[in-house]
Amino acid sequence: MKNRLRVLRAERNWSQADLAERLEVSRQSVNAIETGKFDPSLPLAFKLARLFETTIEAIFSDES
Amino acid sequence: MFCSTNNPAIKRFNRRFMVAMALYIAIMLLSVWAFKIYHPSGGIAYILAVLPSLPILGMLAMVGMYLTEEKDEFLRNAQIQALIWGMGATLAVTTVWGCLEDFAHVRHMDLFLVYPMYWFFVGVSTVLVKLRYK
Repeated sequence: MKNRLRVLRAERNWSQADLAERLEVSRQSVNAIETGKFDPSLPLAFKLARLFETTIEAIFSDES
Repeated sequence: MFCSTNNPAIKRFNRRFMVAMALYIAIMLLSVWAFKIYHPSGGIAYILAVLPSLPILGMLAMVGMYLTEEKDEFLRNAQIQALIWGMGATLAVTTVWGCLEDFAHVRHMDLFLVYPMYWFFVGVSTVLVKLRYK
């Protein structure tokens, strides 16, 4: 799944490790989600949306 | 397991693993000693023979506990993938070897080897899964 995590992270000057800490997951998880290799569960997607104060659809898109 | 030791679920797994290994060594030494000195037979021999395997089998329960306690869904998913690949590889090797034993009369493989073989393949799979997500 495509996502805008890298952009959203860059806007806030957060490293992958910073984002991982805020989400309480590993840095590997953030990297796997960001590169589209792993699709997060709904609870984690909601957590991301809340953290970036936006909607899930604004972060993820199902275009291949 | 899959990542660094800062992870509390991995820390707990490592601690349990150390306890299981210590128990395994102690029980194994006890069994070997008992067989050497007392030459047990019947039910006692069966019990003494099975005892050392219990801490080793406990590892399966420990992995189950780790998967339950791991809060990071990506790490949990990656570990499950490695466990399944390990299982598949072990089944493949033992099935092929079984056919070779039956038809080509190759050397008999002790069943005792299946368990370490499984963990060997899980170890290899863990590295490969890790590389896949790098």
